[in-house]
Amino acid sequence: MLFFSFFKTLIDHDVTVELKNDIQIRGILKSVDQYLNIKLEDISVVDELKYPHLSAVKNIFIRGSVVRYVHLPAAAVDIPLLEDATRREAANQAGKAK
Amino acid sequence: MPEEESAPVAEPLDLVRLLLDEIVCVKLRGDRELKGRLHAYDGHCNMVLGDVEETIYVVEDEGDEEEVKTVSRKSEMLFVRGDSVVLIAPQARSS
Amino acid sequence: MSFFGFDTRKPAVTGAGFSQARDPFAGLSEQVDDGEALEFEDTYDGLGDQLDETDDVFNDDTFGDTSGITAAPVGKDFDFFGQTAKVANAIDEEHVRFNRQAPVARAAQPNIQPSAAASLAQVPVTTPSSYNYASASQKPARTGYEKYNQEPVAELQVDAALWGVAPKKQQPTQPAEVSAPTAAPSRKFMSVEEVEAQMRAQAKKPVQQAVPSPAPQLQPQTQSQPAFHYDQAYQYAQPTSLGPIPPEHARLGDQPVHPGQGHPIAILQRPHSKHATPPQHVPQPHAAPPVHPRQQPASHVPPTQILQNPNRLSGDATRIVNQPHGAPPVLPGHPGFPGHRPQGSFSRQPHLMGQTSQLPQMSEEEKAAFMEQEAKRAKRNHKIYLMSRDNGIMTPQDKNFVTRIQLQQLVAATGNPNEHGTDESLAEDFYYQVHSQIQGGQRQHPSQPLNNFAQTYLFQTGSRLGGPRRHNRGPENHMQRMEQQVQRAVEAAKNKPKNKQLVIEGSLGKISFSNAKTPKPLLNIKRNETAGEVHRPSSAHKHIQAPTGRDRKTELRSIEVVYSTLMEMEDHDRTMPPPPANDDDAEGRDRHIAWNMAAQELNKKLWKALRVHDEQANGGVHPFIALLSYSKGKKAMERIFRHTTTEQRATILTLIVVNLDNLDVVRGAQVTTGEIQLNAAMRENVELFSVAVMPTLFNFLNELELDLVAGVLGLVCDRNLDMIAKSRIGASMLTMILSRAESIKREGGGSEDAWRAWDAQYTQLFNLLEPSLPHMFPGTVNTGDDMYVWQLLALIGIGASAEQQQRLVLAVKDRVMDTVTLSKTLPRDLAHHRLGNVNLFMHSIGLDVELLQ
Repeated sequence: MLFFSFFKTLIDHDVTVELKNDIQIRGILKSVDQYLNIKLEDISVVDELKYPHLSAVKNIFIRGSVVRYVHLPAAAVDIPLLEDATRREAANQAGKAK
Repeated sequence: MPEEESAPVAEPLDLVRLLLDEIVCVKLRGDRELKGRLHAYDGHCNMVLGDVEETIYVVEDEGDEEEVKTVSRKSEMLFVRGDSVVLIAPQARSS
Repeated sequence: MSFFGFDTRKPAVTGAGFSQARDPFAGLSEQVDDGEALEFEDTYDGLGDQLDETDDVFNDDTFGDTSGITAAPVGKDFDFFGQTAKVANAIDEEHVRFNRQAPVARAAQPNIQPSAAASLAQVPVTTPSSYNYASASQKPARTGYEKYNQEPVAELQVDAALWGVAPKKQQPTQPAEVSAPTAAPSRKFMSVEEVEAQMRAQAKKPVQQAVPSPAPQLQPQTQSQPAFHYDQAYQYAQPTSLGPIPPEHARLGDQPVHPGQGHPIAILQRPHSKHATPPQHVPQPHAAPPVHPRQQPASHVPPTQILQNPNRLSGDATRIVNQPHGAPPVLPGHPGFPGHRPQGSFSRQPHLMGQTSQLPQMSEEEKAAFMEQEAKRAKRNHKIYLMSRDNGIMTPQDKNFVTRIQLQQLVAATGNPNEHGTDESLAEDFYYQVHSQIQGGQRQHPSQPLNNFAQTYLFQTGSRLGGPRRHNRGPENHMQRMEQQVQRAVEAAKNKPKNKQLVIEGSLGKISFSNAKTPKPLLNIKRNETAGEVHRPSSAHKHIQAPTGRDRKTELRSIEVVYSTLMEMEDHDRTMPPPPANDDDAEGRDRHIAWNMAAQELNKKLWKALRVHDEQANGGVHPFIALLSYSKGKKAMERIFRHTTTEQRATILTLIVVNLDNLDVVRGAQVTTGEIQLNAAMRENVELFSVAVMPTLFNFLNELELDLVAGVLGLVCDRNLDMIAKSRIGASMLTMILSRAESIKREGGGSEDAWRAWDAQYTQLFNLLEPSLPHMFPGTVNTGDDMYVWQLLALIGIGASAEQQQRLVLAVKDRVMDTVTLSKTLPRDLAHHRLGNVNLFMHSIGLDVELLQ
């Protein structure tokens, strides 16, 4: 749940989602779920000339599994907290595995 | 979170934990490599990397000779979905 | 030419249909029976050479059937509905016959229910499905048409619509339009083809009449029966393409034998999965010219093929059709018997044409096969019916309601967001919860005691960009405090100059004098270099630059243990029990004791992980110092200090000071004299150290008494002071120590002895440092961010005697003059800033840059 938790804090921030087919979509992160499916609003496609077929789309739902990257605003990330959250997650999982 | 129960992880991912806040090299599907500071990961190898440089190896077929070119991109903060990840390696320290 | 493999050797009454006449391979299947391989030349009658068959197969579509079956008048050649008319004729005829001869059977039908059909289906049959026909017959070595085996069936699908036209006029002629009234309900679900089929079916009613009563509960669907029949026809058509006629099929084809029933119905069923194929594949080996004319009673009425649409409900009609006709006298097991295959060749044409029901002629087994299929169909249809019966039973509101319930269950399963108070839910959602708390956003659960965590991370250093935190009291704050401390010290010193006259004299008069006879730069550079080499243990150098993999892993593991322990301690702090209410509260006291014990255990664990007391690897760096070379090691410092005792902190501080010149941020970050800058990684490293570690040390140092501060200064003086001074971290450390002493002095702290000790220590420092003074500045005067150097110089100047101040001025005079000169070329703000830095130092010795201009 770490990344679900993480992405929740990025809601209403500008992100750029890069899909596995190389399309990059920038938009405002509006919601995310435990599968890291993503809903973006006010989207624009990076390199629109190459991928014009989304030009007319304003809001979009992206299935988590097709995501390659999500480019995030670094200022919105609390790095020490994130690293500690990661450690806690790791500890939790190790605890569960036993 | 049923996925973690199936992860017999303690060992392999513990190694990744050691690399938290360290600069790592991540090899991805599609001839891509990332180098950046590891800020987060989970059992799926989802990751957040800071100050990342992505290198894509593109084979350009020009007539007889195949030329491998690299494309580089940077990102200040990057979430990487784990299903693209091939391996995670520590970066040799240079100081 | 049999499109679907019907045995054309026995052409129907029709004699030679156009396709039959053209099939040069008609005789093949007979020879095949002999099991001999076929020779094309032996079997080819050559007729094909005379014919241009191109697209002939479409002829019927275009012109209507031109075969003589119903003796269609020439005038109807272009009547696309002609077939239907013919069918109508045939139907009329059949209807009359049927009424005449099968009234009893008809009467029995209404009783047939789906269940009855199912039981009927269990009658032993040789072929459960029509697809098995081929296996029951002798297979030829090869027919040359194998590749067509499957295709014609699919082909039929395409044409379904073509047959769907029936003249309405036929309807009135139907004596018993049983199902017409019930047609309406199902009509809205029909496609165009289905509607057509239905219309035509109505025209064809006689067939149904023979089987008038559908199962009561399926009545609404009875209307669709005709279409249904078409599909059955497909299914039967298929096996014929598989080669020699299977016995069952032969039986099926035995229409002529059926007494009185001149219009056999071939029920063709369409396998649903088949796909249409081009009609060009139609030619079939079985489309033989009338090879067995004898078996074709001349009087035989062409059978009717009825195709059924599988999508239509109710197979009852078909079943019913089969039922009443008893066991038609057939020729079972007569493989060579062509049956009604000739009609198969018409399947591209409207099947209704010239054909009549074949069912009466079918054997028991065949019927059983039909029954079984029909039973299956009926079963399925019934199921669908049962399911669809409830269609529309829920309103959209109802569905919304159910959706809400499901959502509630989901929430319950994943944890109610309103109950995020427990540690468990916190563990699942740690980042979000704490992040929200820090951001001060509208957390859903303000009651959640996250303050502890928020505290931890709120002042956490190392957030690269400072983050969007509201309270910027983190590292910047510490740096500011140090600057302020320096500033205050300088102000205090300026207000009481020790020997202003001398200083001014020195700066104005003697400077040039001393300057001329002090070629310090060259000399000092050389001396410093050698000094640095002497003090630098090569092995340690190697260790810092490139720790071995094993060491590195060990160190990283230690740091992770440190973090784990820190988090445990932070969690533990949250569970601190309230202090015992009074002396009698034994339970509360025990709890507290237990808690303290646990806390001490954790502290021990942390201390162990820090490896402060570990042996220094031979010639290497102390393990703790090694931890500090990792960014997360640096970042941990503040939290470590929060969870350690004063003694432990003092130990750590001592350890750091003692190893100051072993720190990578000191050793690896020596200031450079040229334009060359440190590499990015080291700059980052230094920045992180000054942001993460220095403030922690600064805070701790500010709690120390003068004797301890003097002790620390003494430790520094034992190290390679040149190297320390020529690094930003080292210089800042010196600044910290000196500024703490000045603070104590201003506050009037410190004993006489302590001050004496301090002065001695200071003098030692000054003497050691003097050669390095001109070389502490980073980069050139143009590039350097040298404020931290001016800060150190200012503090040195404050503590310096008059004589020391003069030496100080001489040492850094070049940089002062250069900066003053440079600032004249700089924009106002920048110039002000640079001069301000210099003045920090100048003021400390009672001077001002103004005096130099």
